[in-house]
Amino acid sequence: MSFHILVQQAVNGLVLGSVYGLIAVGYTMVYGIIGMINFAHGDVYMIAAYLTAIFLAALTLLGIQSPPLIILLVLLLTIACTALYGWSVERIAYKPLRHSTRLAPLISAIGMSLILQNYVRLSQGARSQGTPTLIHGSLRLFENGPDQFVQITYAQILIVVTAVIGMALLWYWIQATAMGRACRAVQQDRIMAALLGVDTDRVISVVFVLGASMAAVAGTLVTFNYGSFDFFIGFVIGIKAFTAAVLGGIGSLPGAMLGGLVLGLAESIFSGFVNTDYKDVFAFSLLVLVLIFRPSGLLGHPEVEKV
Amino acid sequence: MKRLEKYARGKGLARLVFALVFGCVASAQAGTVKIGVAGPLSGAQAAFGEQFWRGAEQAAKDINAQGGINGDTIELVKGDDACEPKQAVAVANRLVDFDHVTAVVGHFCSSSTIPAFEVYAEAGILSMTPASTNPMVTERGLSTVFRTCGRDDQQGVVGAEFVVKQLKAQRVAVLHDKDTYGQGLADSMKAHLATLGLKEVLYEGLTRGEKDFNALVTKLRSVKADAVYFGGLHSEAGPLVRQMREQGLNVPLISGDGIMSETFVTSAGGPKFVEGVFMTFGADPRKIPSGKTLVEQFRKGGYEPEGYTLYSYATMQAIAQAMRATQSREGVKLAAWLKANPVETVMGTKSWNAKGDLKISDYVMYRWTPAGKYEEVQ
Amino acid sequence: MGSVLREALLTGLIALLLFAPLTGVSLSGYTLEGHWQRPLWLAGWVVLGRFALGWLLSRRRHVVAHARPHRRPSLLASWIEAHRTFLLLAMFVVALILPWFIGKYWLNVAILAWIYVLLALGLNIVVGLAGLLDLGFVAFYAVGAYGYALGFKYLDLSFWTALPFGALLAACFGVMLGFPVLRMHGDYLAIVTLGFGEIIRLVLNNWMEFTGGPNGVRVPFPSFFGIEFGRKAQPGHVTVHEYFNVPFSNEYRDIFLYLLLMIVVGGLVFVIRRLRRMPLGRNWEALREDEIACRSLGLQPVMVKLSAFGLGAMTGGVGGVFFAASQGFVNPTSFTFMESAHILAIVILGGMGSTAGVIVAAVILTVLPEALRDFAEYRGLLFGCAMVLMMVWRPRGLMGARRARFDRSGVA
Repeated sequence: MSFHILVQQAVNGLVLGSVYGLIAVGYTMVYGIIGMINFAHGDVYMIAAYLTAIFLAALTLLGIQSPPLIILLVLLLTIACTALYGWSVERIAYKPLRHSTRLAPLISAIGMSLILQNYVRLSQGARSQGTPTLIHGSLRLFENGPDQFVQITYAQILIVVTAVIGMALLWYWIQATAMGRACRAVQQDRIMAALLGVDTDRVISVVFVLGASMAAVAGTLVTFNYGSFDFFIGFVIGIKAFTAAVLGGIGSLPGAMLGGLVLGLAESIFSGFVNTDYKDVFAFSLLVLVLIFRPSGLLGHPEVEKV
Repeated sequence: MKRLEKYARGKGLARLVFALVFGCVASAQAGTVKIGVAGPLSGAQAAFGEQFWRGAEQAAKDINAQGGINGDTIELVKGDDACEPKQAVAVANRLVDFDHVTAVVGHFCSSSTIPAFEVYAEAGILSMTPASTNPMVTERGLSTVFRTCGRDDQQGVVGAEFVVKQLKAQRVAVLHDKDTYGQGLADSMKAHLATLGLKEVLYEGLTRGEKDFNALVTKLRSVKADAVYFGGLHSEAGPLVRQMREQGLNVPLISGDGIMSETFVTSAGGPKFVEGVFMTFGADPRKIPSGKTLVEQFRKGGYEPEGYTLYSYATMQAIAQAMRATQSREGVKLAAWLKANPVETVMGTKSWNAKGDLKISDYVMYRWTPAGKYEEVQ
Repeated sequence: MGSVLREALLTGLIALLLFAPLTGVSLSGYTLEGHWQRPLWLAGWVVLGRFALGWLLSRRRHVVAHARPHRRPSLLASWIEAHRTFLLLAMFVVALILPWFIGKYWLNVAILAWIYVLLALGLNIVVGLAGLLDLGFVAFYAVGAYGYALGFKYLDLSFWTALPFGALLAACFGVMLGFPVLRMHGDYLAIVTLGFGEIIRLVLNNWMEFTGGPNGVRVPFPSFFGIEFGRKAQPGHVTVHEYFNVPFSNEYRDIFLYLLLMIVVGGLVFVIRRLRRMPLGRNWEALREDEIACRSLGLQPVMVKLSAFGLGAMTGGVGGVFFAASQGFVNPTSFTFMESAHILAIVILGGMGSTAGVIVAAVILTVLPEALRDFAEYRGLLFGCAMVLMMVWRPRGLMGARRARFDRSGVA
């Protein structure tokens, strides 16, 4: 097995893993705070992909030419609009269920996922869409002959760099700001936090907004990189990102990123050196195995039984 | 035994009561011929469903304008299967039992067509697919099923010949999307490569709905493929070809009729990525002289009759002609007539063999150009 | 009034912001088409809806404040309670004679509804009674369906032998999966089962040589104790219409399946009723309520959970065999995660643990999408809205209210 291929697969895994990680953050934060699996999160990511293409087309029509400016504007607009979607989803489908059984929000989330998919299908059409390539060019490393090279596109570099920056900002926010502290307090004990004067409803809204923002970052970057999307893309990637969140230990932010990277690398290495057909079987088996031997995921805290 | 008889009698009685109460008998109204148009009107493949519907709708309009079928006008009924076998069976049952159609144009995905045609055949209804190319559609000995397109094994022959003789490829990788259509196509490619004395260097499936195929592309590089065959649809072929080019793998990609849509270019990220992509498809129906006026009519209405639009139109014509000639709507009689007589359609003269396949199918190779259009390879 | 109006206008503004980019323009290639009126209309409707809702709520709050503290049960509910036996009997009779009148299309829908009843009852044992959240129930359904299909292909099993075979096979899978993972807690269990469901589907899809992959497997239709339902019999067999000397109809087969399913569901309901009063069933429910207390009283949680898992899986397997028999064709696309979600939705909508509620919900959630077929375009949207609204309106499901008093935090 050649060195170049191994490195190339690692790069592929890293890029894919960063995307998984960014989406997994949304799952893990919501789960940490209110203990529900937000199945509509993958579709929020899908909405972000559509918004990216729409804002891109709109800005191009307005005559803005410079790629860095366009990328920045599209990213900001998409984050703002997707965050609004995240907030509304929580407000409509989950907030009224705050004090009911734990399974009710799950079904509500599945319903919301159907609503978002069909809403986009009806307004944007069912056919798969695309965006023109914005970031051209790539980097060749370790070049050594005609097929011996590792190729990384600038778009891929952008994905990894932005993911790292985004995660770092989020981490800083959680650790250092007042709202972040409130988040952690609610995560530890919601009732106690409420008793101490933390506005839990607001904290939960903020968490949804942040999760959606991270999904928006992922949606924008993926759309710039792969350029192709349809109303159904949220489903597959949502399940994968969720797997990543659980793999890393659900409820833990670094765990989500680590889980994403592990899953991305595992998929791409397995696909590259064993078999693509069974790539997903491998990913899910990995999940099952990790959970059997480490029931709270890679970085999760073991669950304490409260009596 | 007596019990069953009683039930049967009870049912007759119930139908009578029903008819008296609602003043209608459960059959099609006189003066109309109901024909079902079934396909993915929603879901990821809805672009193809739209092609079906446009073609059939125009055909029904034209046939009705020429006096319909023996004086009866055609009425079309939509059936949406979203390319899901379970929904396809439900839709088929609905068309048969609820809408009482007398013939069906349809089903796009082979995985839907195969179980749905079983329902039509059981009910004795003529069913013709304009697009399902999997051999199993007609290989099961059902007497009332037809198709107006070729078969995957024929596509595979043309594809394999092209890859070996024209592209002179030595190391061919065969990929598919793990669906009935895509895998069938890939299998037939694999089989015909073998008859030409070539063993593929890679045979693997990707997951539908995913967009990241970088790991697979790297694998293509590692096996040093000099041509890639993909059995699948444009929604996966687009990102695949783009990621090949971005990783510096500039070998030709060959595919079947599933990427026959301008959406392929959009989902590949622009026309510059589709250079070096080839596909098999029937000789472009838009260039056949008999269809010239029709194509212009479509274009005047602001719709480009690409892909299966004209196939769907031709299917309607064949059904209508069979009904005119036999003065019947029974599937078995119509099927017998179609197998015995050639039909003049917008796509030229078509005739069917005993299985319901076209006697002559004319797959040719197309090339996508850097302008994002496709043209026949000479 | 003023605050309600202000609230409505604010909601409308947010709705406008939400709708404007996605409905106001649509992508066409790399450019945009404008549909400026669409978001305005949508936002207008939202304002109206929000206003009406706010107005109703404020009125209700007003009424409730002055109403008697105890609400008497509604007239309808007390009437239903009083005529329970009669109603059940009437429903049974209606269900029994229904298949003769509804025609083949609705008959197939009804069969599908019964299959979902079966599946939901099975999942209800796991989720509702034992309190184990299972997101991969579809795995056992698939095992049952493929057990019949592949059993016929390789071992030449008939429907009647496939039924216990599929059930046993699914139960084995249930126990096999259950053994390592039942030590896990609540939501982790959910994820592992989800992963397991996906693994089964992917293996079925990828293992071409054995399962036929995406092409699926053809399944023979069941026979009436050896007598066939087809138009023409296989050599050496007779058909039903010849044997009973009645005209041929392709509905007999479906009617037969329908009645058979009714019997199976009836049997299952009976078994579940009995089990709930037996130590095993009591153990399930006790475990759901408080696992630690159970353990301190000397209960073996693993065996109790395993029995629930195995029994639920077995029911799923039976459902799968029936599904395969009614479709005549199985293919991995019928066993996606959405199918699991659908079954879970039935259980939760029906009210966890409530048999009657689950049956009603299964019928509603199967018939609703079919009835919505006339709105083909809007079907998914309406279905999703129905799910969300149902949960907001009755988060404990249609008939789950009675258990509410000892349901502290729900499942998990």
